[in-house]
Amino acid sequence: MPVSTSTKNLLNEVGGISSFAGRFFSQWYKPRYEIAEFFRQCYVIGYKSLPLVGLTGFIMGLVLTMQLRPTMVDYGVESQIPAIVGIAIIREIGPVLTALIFAGKIGSSIGAELGSMKVTEQIDAMEVSGTNPFKYLVVSRVLAATCMLPVLTVMSDAISLYGSYLGVNIRGTTSFSLFWIQVFESLDFYDVIPAFIKTYFFGFAVGLIGCYKGYFSSKGTEGVGRSANSAVVVSSILIFIIDLLAVQITDVLGYN
Amino acid sequence: MIKKSVANNIKLGAFVIASLIFLIMIFYMIGKNKHLFGANFTVKARFENVQGLKIGNNVRFGGIDIGTVKKIEIINDTLMEVVMTVDHKLKKILRKNAIASIGTDGLVGNKVINIEANRLPDHAAEENDILLTQKSVNTDEMMRTLDRTNNDVNIVAENLKIITQKINKSQGLWDLITNRKIAIHFNKTAENIEKASMEANKIGVNTNQIIRKISNGRGILGKMISDTLLYSNFNQTIVNFKKAGIRTDSFLLKAENMINNIESEINYGKGPIHALLVDSSNTLLFKKSMLNIEKGTEGFNEIIDAMKHHFLFRRYFKRIENEKIKSGNP
Amino acid sequence: MSNTILKKENIDTIETQKKTEPVLMVSHLYKSFGDNKVLIDFNLKLNKGENVVVLGKSGSGKSVLIKCIIGLLLPDEGEIHVLGENVVEQTSSSLDKIRAKIGFLFQSNALYDSMTVRENLEFPLRRHWIKNNPDEVNQLVQQALEDVGLGYTIDMMPVELSGGMRKRIALARTLILKPEIILYDEPTTGLDPITGKEIIRLMIHIKEKYNTSSLIISHDMNCVKLAADRIIILLEGKCYAEGDYETLRKDKDAKVIQFFE
Ligand SMILES: Nc1ncnc2c1ncn2[C@@H]1O[C@H](COP(=O)(O)OP(=O)(O)O)[C@@H](O)[C@H]1O
Ligand SMILES: [Mg+2]
Repeated sequence: MPVSTSTKNLLNEVGGISSFAGRFFSQWYKPRYEIAEFFRQCYVIGYKSLPLVGLTGFIMGLVLTMQLRPTMVDYGVESQIPAIVGIAIIREIGPVLTALIFAGKIGSSIGAELGSMKVTEQIDAMEVSGTNPFKYLVVSRVLAATCMLPVLTVMSDAISLYGSYLGVNIRGTTSFSLFWIQVFESLDFYDVIPAFIKTYFFGFAVGLIGCYKGYFSSKGTEGVGRSANSAVVVSSILIFIIDLLAVQITDVLGYN
Repeated sequence: MIKKSVANNIKLGAFVIASLIFLIMIFYMIGKNKHLFGANFTVKARFENVQGLKIGNNVRFGGIDIGTVKKIEIINDTLMEVVMTVDHKLKKILRKNAIASIGTDGLVGNKVINIEANRLPDHAAEENDILLTQKSVNTDEMMRTLDRTNNDVNIVAENLKIITQKINKSQGLWDLITNRKIAIHFNKTAENIEKASMEANKIGVNTNQIIRKISNGRGILGKMISDTLLYSNFNQTIVNFKKAGIRTDSFLLKAENMINNIESEINYGKGPIHALLVDSSNTLLFKKSMLNIEKGTEGFNEIIDAMKHHFLFRRYFKRIENEKIKSGNP
Repeated sequence: MSNTILKKENIDTIETQKKTEPVLMVSHLYKSFGDNKVLIDFNLKLNKGENVVVLGKSGSGKSVLIKCIIGLLLPDEGEIHVLGENVVEQTSSSLDKIRAKIGFLFQSNALYDSMTVRENLEFPLRRHWIKNNPDEVNQLVQQALEDVGLGYTIDMMPVELSGGMRKRIALARTLILKPEIILYDEPTTGLDPITGKEIIRLMIHIKEKYNTSSLIISHDMNCVKLAADRIIILLEGKCYAEGDYETLRKDKDAKVIQFFE
């Protein structure tokens, strides 16, 4: 019996998220367009996440380089550090790390914000004020998250690589231009494009789950907390699932 | 409120543009490395075997990346045409008679086309010119030579062994002392030995050359080999070979001396016992030399064995074996 | 049940009063959530310039009723006529037009936490496409804040305000559209009695100033005594009793008496 109820809960969750996504797709392109709100959300979701994403990206680049160094020195391929770190950051670490940080910051804040709006009837108040709250709140946030995560990821990649450059120069000397030339030389379009495309899906997942959890938050402040928490958990899991799918798809298409 | 949102939008815009610039820079740099931008011109080269060359592989002139492979077409069953796009700046530099060859950049099979200038003068290359080609020394062939050399060494050693055995059966010694014809025969044998030792020397030189080829400018493969034990083993063998060669030389000198002695013995009749003494010491020396040569060959065989198990060459040796089996079973 | 005006008589009274067209009329309303039947054949009418109080215990479905009227909940059966239009049958855009004429004061105020007081008041104006000229908008905002006596809070955030102030700001937000009908969902709940009375006085003041009709949902006797022209008791999903304060207070029915103890 407990197995069947937990299965039921899972199916209920998946079904709920799917129909919520369906509602998003049936509404986002129809007027009225909440453009001002979209840009406001882009600012809040994108720009305001930059310090956090940048800091984690920087540390990741630096640490990755310093951790790799001893092994690379052992094999006598120290000069390949920029190439290897470049590929690792651009293909996998940059997109996934940024998405996870993004899920932690934005997923939870969207979940909590919409949850408390739901609980205190602000969503109802919007509806009676001539506003489609789904468009005003959900569509604008999901679109903003979808558009901003790729931008954040690119910034984070750049900052990560800069961190790596500093990491290389702690114990060695590689000129700034040589470092970047080596990074770019190791890259191909097939490294950059799939990694870039998948960040759109990550952003969409984080925005959608955050909104879903908040929009259907249960009453009470406890419900708000739970929305925020499960928004982070579910969107983090979804990020890994999407990542897995992405690698499979690029593999099948032969872009690896 | 409006002012604030304008300020926010400005920040947002700066942020988006900054990341857009970085993204474009990535694409531009990759594109530049692939010579996607700027004016290009096309040259062609025809090969019997393109050795796994792919579209997008680099084209180098004097070691500098100047373009990429754009197309590979099959002209007929023995001829493949490779179309390359090359930076237009090379138009004034590249000659019609430049020589293209297929090489390897690095260990993991990134093929490159190397274009080298011909020493003879010619006109500047034009659009769609077909360049001269040179069959490249590839690792497969190098390995084949190595194996052949190994076989030669085996044969030499075999010959030497037979000779020693013959000498060991000292029954013929008396004939040697008395019969001049046999002495002449012996002379010939010695000549053979000399040849063999020369062969052995040649092997040493050959192997040396191969090693030099491998370690000189053949990319990571060379480095790999020079980094591993393999190379030191190789070197050791060559030293052994040389030692063996020197020993053979000194043995030949002594053998010649012996023959001279035997001749003078016969001619001046100093008696057989003396000759026998000379002979025995010579035989001992001879044996020692043989042992050295054998050791050298063994070492070489060991290396070949080791290489057979080395991941880089495993595929090659398997193929050789398969070929042997095929030719063995008609 | 002598003083209780039942459903049929109710309709009869409507029919006899046809010349004074009611601004709001709810007839035969059914609403249930699963097995929980909240409203069963509920009827109500609100005449122009009238203050009607709906009395009911907590959880009796008062908020459900008021949300059906504004179109936030779709009733299972029944009709809701607001200013002559049936709310149940509207498309979303025509529903918005009706909503623009109704003010709704939420039980929890529903002030937007992320916006200042000014932005909160501007929101319905801009969203209903009513005013876009900044000067006009600004003037209306000032006016609405003056009406509730909180002009100085214009650039504050809702979290900086006390409960009574928030209620008044929320009231100002419903007033800014100059509605013909105002729906109050428990306006005094959660406030101390003195502040509650202030709010009630404000409601009466607004009614007189703008000549609005109000439907007030409450279980606060102060509110009933001061503001009600007519009282409807909502019990077991039905309109159990109806009448003015004095009549209902003298009612002998035990279920009615419990509200007036
Ligand atoms: N959206 C909803 N879903 C399910 N049940 C609801 C919903 N809204 C209200 N109810 C139920 O309807 C009943 C009446 O609720 P409500 O109208 O909020 O009571 P109150 O009279 O205190 O305002 C309650 O039993 C509540 O559980
Ligand atoms: Mg209620």
